[in-house]
Amino acid sequence: MRANRVRLIVVIAVIFAAFLALLWPSKGQSYKGLAMIFQRIPLGLDIKGGARLEYRVDVEQGVENPSEVVDNVWTVLRNRLDAAGYTEATVRKTFRENNSFIVIEIPAATDTTRAEKLLGSTGVMYFGQVLEESQIDPQTDPRLKDLARIKKAEWLPTRDGKIWYLVREEIMLIKDMKLVSPQIVSASPVPETRAGRFGYKVTFELASKDAELFKKITQQLVVPESSVGSAAAKEKRLAIVLDNVVQFAGYVVSVIPDGKAEITGNFSIEEAKQLAAILRSGALPARLEKVSAGWVAPLLGSDIVRTSLWAGIVGLIIVFIYMVIVYGIQGVIADIALIYNTILLLGVLAATGSILTLLGIAGIIFTIGTTVDGNIIIAERIKEELRAGKSIKAAISSGFGRCFITLFDANLTTIIAGLVLYYFGTGTVKGFAITLIIGVLGSFFVNIVLSRLLTEAFSSLIRKPTVTEEGGAQS
Amino acid sequence: MKYFDFVGKRRIFISISVVLVAISLIFIFTRGFNFGVEFLGGSELILRVESSNFTEADVRKVLGEISSDFASARVTRVRSIGDPENILKFSVTLTKTFMAEEKADLQAQIESKISEKNIKGQVISFNETGGSAAEEIRRLTWRAVIITLVAILVYITLRFNFVFGVGATLALVHDVVVTMGFFSFFNYELNVPAVAAFLTLIGYSLNNTIIVYDRVRENMKKFKGKQIASIVNDSINQVFRRTVNTSLTTFFVVFVLLLFAGNAIKPFAFGMTVGTVVGTYSSIYIASPMVIRWVKNR
Repeated sequence: MRANRVRLIVVIAVIFAAFLALLWPSKGQSYKGLAMIFQRIPLGLDIKGGARLEYRVDVEQGVENPSEVVDNVWTVLRNRLDAAGYTEATVRKTFRENNSFIVIEIPAATDTTRAEKLLGSTGVMYFGQVLEESQIDPQTDPRLKDLARIKKAEWLPTRDGKIWYLVREEIMLIKDMKLVSPQIVSASPVPETRAGRFGYKVTFELASKDAELFKKITQQLVVPESSVGSAAAKEKRLAIVLDNVVQFAGYVVSVIPDGKAEITGNFSIEEAKQLAAILRSGALPARLEKVSAGWVAPLLGSDIVRTSLWAGIVGLIIVFIYMVIVYGIQGVIADIALIYNTILLLGVLAATGSILTLLGIAGIIFTIGTTVDGNIIIAERIKEELRAGKSIKAAISSGFGRCFITLFDANLTTIIAGLVLYYFGTGTVKGFAITLIIGVLGSFFVNIVLSRLLTEAFSSLIRKPTVTEEGGAQS
Repeated sequence: MKYFDFVGKRRIFISISVVLVAISLIFIFTRGFNFGVEFLGGSELILRVESSNFTEADVRKVLGEISSDFASARVTRVRSIGDPENILKFSVTLTKTFMAEEKADLQAQIESKISEKNIKGQVISFNETGGSAAEEIRRLTWRAVIITLVAILVYITLRFNFVFGVGATLALVHDVVVTMGFFSFFNYELNVPAVAAFLTLIGYSLNNTIIVYDRVRENMKKFKGKQIASIVNDSINQVFRRTVNTSLTTFFVVFVLLLFAGNAIKPFAFGMTVGTVVGTYSSIYIASPMVIRWVKNR
């Protein structure tokens, strides 16, 4: 009975952890009664709704292919949401008359200001030339304001708002030499390896269409490393501007022929990561104008969610009753295992903060199926062993031993399918794969540990099938 | 317990399945699918109602009386910051797109239908919209499908043998293709929930097949030298009660869903109901009987 004591402790510890994850006090949502167990599981757009933001895409006049611009905006926003972990959000293009709109819906975000921040800057990115810098706010100094007018440039603050740079889009005043909305293919922080430097640098790569222009710009602005810091060199600095904020300003120390550049500055890892993220999440190729911000009710319709939930519960109750009728005490054990595994799965979802969507619920239904199935397999196997003439104790022992292999193969095959789905899927499909994998692992644990514990504890209630029932059934 | 001869007529059942798959493929490629708005895109109209107790069901009813185009429309409540409490807004999306005159006409009809209830209703926008899920599902390309199948094939080859791997993969393809065929034939809307059903079906089909294979593997070890056909038949018989009971329990849940769940969930329930039946059938009559010949010839 020692094995059973271990099983009992494990079973109690696991369910305790699951309840802890589910019922840990959370702010914001408040549920009463049984719904309490859902309080820490964020529900998806389809079930619960979320924040809804609508932007008008301000495509500049005379752009050759406006729909391509809108497509690019879509891609950038999608990437930003994915990078922030909001893979379950939806981004959708809509058109009205001659205007294009982007509608973004973010699940479990009731606060639209947070959602807007998440989308980050809605502005345009460009590479400009730094002409001058100032430690005081240029708006308070008429002399500096005049300078901006004369130089046809703009004073822009840095991110911390302590320094202002006079930035001009056109490099060296050469016509059309401006790089607005550069397409950055990749950007990442890399540890600094050169002697005399420390920390991190950021490498980035421009799309080939922008590489040629970037080469020309760097040819114009390049300064020898020895003259860095001199007055002449200061007027040739390159600024990366996003949303009218200077994200970075520095010297070009070599011509970049192939669009592959690096930014050095002895950054800390956080600074380097942030700069890379800014470059990577990219600039929007057009300005966005907010049309409306608000929320959206469940996409499936709240009435549909409600009736479907009821239908699901009715179906489950039928399963519960059926199991008890067909398998007696082992049916009761199956029902307990089912409830146990569902709570376990919800606990893991709550602990990992996964968003539960309809596909996730499909995963839960599948989990219910596998848990019940596991118990049926075990019950049938034990019956077979009993028919073969074994004692109840021996039948339970050999039944579970044999079922371990059966369930191991059946569950692992499903998990393999789930892993591939997880790897290739995005958003909701990933969510489904996660619930599937957790659920199947859980059902394996429940079948092997909990069901065994209960079956052995209530073994006296298992009915021995009458041998005559067989009557030469086997060939 | 009765003893059934499952494998004796295997040629008939395999032929039936081949025909089923062929018919399904014909339907899939000629008739195609009734894709949902989240894949295809279509139109979105925003309806503003000056009432505090108008529901999604009311909107659906009003729209349904106007045109059958709205039968499968998705109705969702939306709200902008600053909207007063007594004003409700609904977003209605459907796969159809309309000409400018049609839009104006529909708009007038909707507004007059709502005013019949002494409620002021107004269509505040009528847009063309792109699909939100299209990209997501499109990324689940053929490559993903083929890698899934290969991974399963490799695993089953390692744990059982190659022939069983082929059998399980073919059974899986059979189940998914036939269910897709049903979707095409009955013109059920293929939406994100329906995709969920297909994904679930993959796990379900594999599970059913492996349980039978596991028993075949056990019996092959136990009764060396026995005819493979009778080993397979014994094995299917031994797990038959399990197959029936598991399938029945799953069937209860999804069938109740199919009967009572709301419109948007119906495709999921339909896919699961069909999938459960097809998956059970294939695990008994197809997956194992199919491999008999190959095992024999080895």
